[in-house]
Amino acid sequence: MEAHIGDRIVIKGHRVDEPVRDCEVIEVHGQDGGPPYLVRWSDSGHETLFFPGSDATVEHLEHSGA
Amino acid sequence: MRTIDTIRRSGIGIRPEQTVREAAQVMEHSGVGALAIVEGARLRGILTDRDLVRRVLATGLALDARVDDVMTSPVVSIDADADVHDAFALFRTHGVRRLAVVRNGQFVGMVTIDDLLVDLARDLVDLSRPITAEIAHAHRDSALPVA
Repeated sequence: MEAHIGDRIVIKGHRVDEPVRDCEVIEVHGQDGGPPYLVRWSDSGHETLFFPGSDATVEHLEHSGA
Repeated sequence: MRTIDTIRRSGIGIRPEQTVREAAQVMEHSGVGALAIVEGARLRGILTDRDLVRRVLATGLALDARVDDVMTSPVVSIDADADVHDAFALFRTHGVRRLAVVRNGQFVGMVTIDDLLVDLARDLVDLSRPITAEIAHAHRDSALPVA
């Protein structure tokens, strides 16, 4: 996975009743956009390190052209 | 199959100085039963829901205690590119339910017995499918040619 500051990571639920969660990348700790990432979760506001697995997809921040 | 390919759920990590209260809240919101305790790029330990029960609730430890006071360390780990059968062996010999998966000494995720059981169950279903079909449709075999 490659992500940058401001990108959104979406984690699918693992059970029927488990909601989809998402978080914002606030720091990239790996090289060349690689993990781990410091993220802020949208539902709880917690900041944690995130090590993406196969359940995670990244939505890249739209960068406006100058 | 490589061990890293069996990881189903993304890993969540917190810092050693964070409190057990924060750890419990992160577990609750994330739906995970274990957190990686990471300092810089180094895995210091793992904190499980069982650690919280045994070392916090059962002992009456304050909820603002640091997680590195109650985490499990050292951690049984396996290289990300190791064959999954090596993971089976570690589960067997160490009696743990989770292994930290590392690459070049850095934590990349966690593999659980549950993950491996799901994969094994799926493999067994795939293997049994031809046999099941054979049993169900045995009467459809064409007759042998008569000489």
